[in-house]
Amino acid sequence: MTTTYEITNKFDVEGDAQSLLYAPPATPLRFRKTTRYLFDYEGDATALDAFVHEALVDRISQEAHQDKAPIWNGYAFILDYGMKGGALDLEKEAILSYYRTLKAPAFTLSKLLLKTRIYVFGEGADSALFVRDIVNPAIQNSEVINA
Amino acid sequence: MATKPKALLLKFPGTNCDAETSSALQAVGFETQVLPSALLELSSLKDIQLVVFSGGFSYGDYVMSGRFAKLSTKSKIGEELKSFVDRGGYAMGICNGFQILTQLGLLPEGSLIHNTSGRFICRWTGLKKNAASPYLNELPDNFELPMAHAEGRFVGIADAAGDYVKNGRAALLYSSDVNGSTHQIAGLQDDTGRVFGLMPHPERFTIKQHHYDPDWNGAEHGWGYYMFKSVHQAIAA
Repeated sequence: MTTTYEITNKFDVEGDAQSLLYAPPATPLRFRKTTRYLFDYEGDATALDAFVHEALVDRISQEAHQDKAPIWNGYAFILDYGMKGGALDLEKEAILSYYRTLKAPAFTLSKLLLKTRIYVFGEGADSALFVRDIVNPAIQNSEVINA
Repeated sequence: MATKPKALLLKFPGTNCDAETSSALQAVGFETQVLPSALLELSSLKDIQLVVFSGGFSYGDYVMSGRFAKLSTKSKIGEELKSFVDRGGYAMGICNGFQILTQLGLLPEGSLIHNTSGRFICRWTGLKKNAASPYLNELPDNFELPMAHAEGRFVGIADAAGDYVKNGRAALLYSSDVNGSTHQIAGLQDDTGRVFGLMPHPERFTIKQHHYDPDWNGAEHGWGYYMFKSVHQAIAA
């Protein structure tokens, strides 16, 4: 089975997208950032949900959205990026290391992917600039989802 | 000669302030032991009076600062740290250590999230005492310490932070809004006062020469020295 959790921060607000780029964009743009965890697993979905909320979500400051369409509307595009399969993803390894310490997790994790998702808002947004300045093609891959 | 109180400094992968914190504790009279978290076990807290979570970036701050340090600690010793405090032990968290203590639930509920600027902030900051604390007895009402963090903005559910300021759980406040922390909270204590966490780094200002002003003459030692001295005196009393 496959499921995706997208984690948002309750206290985050839209930021100036200029902070993501090496040069100011032609028009003012805003952005929001989230983290997505993609799981391939077998077993108890409730146990996986408990694992996610124990290890990956801070109940004070964050919210988890499971298998949800883009969380915000009105975006110009979405940029998803993460480590390539052959690159060492230390964050993923830390999560898997914790998973391996669980005595009886009630689910089996066969694959985990971590993605950072950036929603860009505003007129005249050029996704190529964001891919160029944010993604390191040597170790990361990316996908742009247009509105 | 009286036996020195013992401080145990837990070192997680990515903790990087343990050596200078250990030196600061020794300077005020503690006997110290730095323990790699991989060796942590239930008996580690035996004969220890103070457990210190030093600054750094435990587990690379992955997922959220302090998260994997909390999970690692709980999987190794469960609720033993809470029992240690219940038995009269002291626990101190500095910067990343504060984040870990918060995650462990040993401090009033809340989280330390990214600064409102979205940037890592490294500077000196003014601080003011908001309540009595065994960690602050030897300090003046207003003093300053260095700070260096990306995730130091304290947030709570509803206006929990406002309650902490009123009831003294927020023992230490910034003198100005440096990182967006709610009600300018810089440090918290539990209801016993024995668990204390703060974002600034007392171990980085233990001698006059640490100060940015070469002519600084505010006290015989740096203010951080007096924070460690305070808890030493509280334990030795």
